[in-house]
Amino acid sequence: MEGSTDRTDAIYSIGAVARMLGVPPQTLRAWEDRYQQIVPARSSGGQRLYSRDQVDQLSFIRNQIEQGLQPADAHRLLAQHHNEATSIPVEQHPNARTSAAAATTVLLAERDPYAAEFAEYFLRTEGYVVRIVLDSAAAAEILRNEPPSVLVVDLLIAGGAGLELCRAARDNGSVPVLALSAVNSRDQALAAGAEAFLVKPLDPLQLVSTVRDLIGTSAYLRQRS
Amino acid sequence: MTDRLSSGSVRLDTVLGGGLPRNGIVLIGGNPGSGKTILAQQYVFHNASTDRPAIYLTTVSEPLEKILRYGQSLDFFDPAALGTSVIYEDLGRTLNDEGLTGALAYITELLKKYRPGLVVIDSFRALQTYAADPETFRGFLHELAGRLSALPITSFWVGEYTSTDTSDAPEFAVADAIVALGTEREAERDRRVLSVIKLRGSGSLSGKHAYRLSSTGIHVFPRMADLVELDRYDRVQERMSSGVPALDAMLSDGYYRGASTLLAGPSGVGKTLFALHFIFAGAVRGETGLIATFQENPTQLERILKGFSWSLDDPAVELMYRTPVDLYLDEWVYDLLDTVHRTGATRVAIDSLGDLRASAADELRFREYIYSLLQRCARANISVVMTQEVPYLFGVSRLSEYGISHLSDNVILLQFLRGDSRLKRALTILKARGSAHDPFTRQYEITTDGVILGDHFDRSQDLT
Repeated sequence: MEGSTDRTDAIYSIGAVARMLGVPPQTLRAWEDRYQQIVPARSSGGQRLYSRDQVDQLSFIRNQIEQGLQPADAHRLLAQHHNEATSIPVEQHPNARTSAAAATTVLLAERDPYAAEFAEYFLRTEGYVVRIVLDSAAAAEILRNEPPSVLVVDLLIAGGAGLELCRAARDNGSVPVLALSAVNSRDQALAAGAEAFLVKPLDPLQLVSTVRDLIGTSAYLRQRS
Repeated sequence: MTDRLSSGSVRLDTVLGGGLPRNGIVLIGGNPGSGKTILAQQYVFHNASTDRPAIYLTTVSEPLEKILRYGQSLDFFDPAALGTSVIYEDLGRTLNDEGLTGALAYITELLKKYRPGLVVIDSFRALQTYAADPETFRGFLHELAGRLSALPITSFWVGEYTSTDTSDAPEFAVADAIVALGTEREAERDRRVLSVIKLRGSGSLSGKHAYRLSSTGIHVFPRMADLVELDRYDRVQERMSSGVPALDAMLSDGYYRGASTLLAGPSGVGKTLFALHFIFAGAVRGETGLIATFQENPTQLERILKGFSWSLDDPAVELMYRTPVDLYLDEWVYDLLDTVHRTGATRVAIDSLGDLRASAADELRFREYIYSLLQRCARANISVVMTQEVPYLFGVSRLSEYGISHLSDNVILLQFLRGDSRLKRALTILKARGSAHDPFTRQYEITTDGVILGDHFDRSQDLT
């Protein structure tokens, strides 16, 4: 059976990747145009969507450039790794998960209590503080008054109020959004400001790793700090 | 990742329109001994991985010990997978001590602990007895289905459900797919049949599909009901020899490649010989031929062949002998197609249709199968001759009660005739689709060189 934590699934918006890596979106687009090496998938509406593997590759490129390589050489080095079928070195910060996760809160706006129960369980086992709301008005209020580190929202909450919550989070400033839906609503979600999208039912590991990336406690950001 | 879950068997997946719906609830119903547990375990071992393990939960009617003990005899049962990618757990004790509520909590814990991709509950039907009333059971079903649907899990609910349960049992409404295993009385024996009663989001092959159980799991023979193809005769132009030069001449220039030919006649008239001519005419041209017979075993056949300087040792000749006793039509047809595929045969002789007909209780099903078989062969440009016995020694008035003559491209009647106090053999081409043919009845003789066609009969011959 293929792993469901598929590293090639298109999940992250260009904004999310830019923030995760600390590389401006225009630079990511320029690299893509120039080297045609890390080319994200496109949603049906034309939005760029990066996979976990591509984020790793971009992080490798960025590290090489920081160490003094030209972008072209960094891409060449990546291609070399790829041809030799060796995995690219991604350094994990030893305390990336435990130390940083403790301070972060996930606001989980779900319509399905069963899905919420499982998502909460898996996020808690990763050390996150999870607040579950099954009502979109309550979620909007929490967003305004006690902004969480990340909003995980089922787009179909309250009959489809999830997109409103995405916009509210974007307008609110700095709360990154992971949108969920049983149907493919990638385009609407990204247009409304979500930084990542996952189709339900959620694979627990994929949920946790996506949240971790969005919150910025991923190895990438910590390497930079 | 595809949205279909494979059984590991191409034919079973075909019946299910490509596989079971991944992340759905699958109900497997059937009588004791129908292979429900084998089928569920087949899916378990084919799909389980350490990343996404499978959990097999036994309830009360299926003790865990027994499932494991018998499971070991299955080829795909991998003891090394136990505890890592396949986890067997007993739900019976929790059910007895804490009822459905306790079972639900226990299942939820397992889902969190193992993050499985597949969950089997066997027997699911036994859970009903733990509910005080139907409402309680419905509530439990709702809770369980809600949890299973919240995660990427395909679950199998296995139970001794019967066809009357279909409308009553609430499980059937919740399930995304329902597979029924049953038996069908046919002649004096039972035939195992699998049918797909419900399959959300996809088509499936309708009807009842025969299956057999073995140590390698469940083997399904999808019901054959191929569609009519009308335009074939515009495409195929190549002719091939029947093996009897004079007969080729009567047919303009032999049979069309890919055509089917019915050789009908009474016992002893030489039907098998014409079929063998066809096979060995191919063999001398380097075309592989397959003799599918029920009539003569290899020793008997070799003896007949020797009389005409032919031999089964010919590398271009393949023999598929099956005893007509305990023959299953579905299995035989798939066997034949497999053998044709394996050997690359372009000529096939089936001797005889009567034996095949006896293996199917239902004439409609028999026709469906023969028709589909001929269609598949025609599409692959494989030519088929079939023999068929007619019950009348003289004066044949009816050809076939199975209607195969309508399905065949060519029909050749072989019969005995009386004349001059001597038994004569005669051949008439009743039908040759798409080609001009000699309409006369011609005498023939069987010599050590095989069939030798003689003259037309004249008017004085009594053809009755």
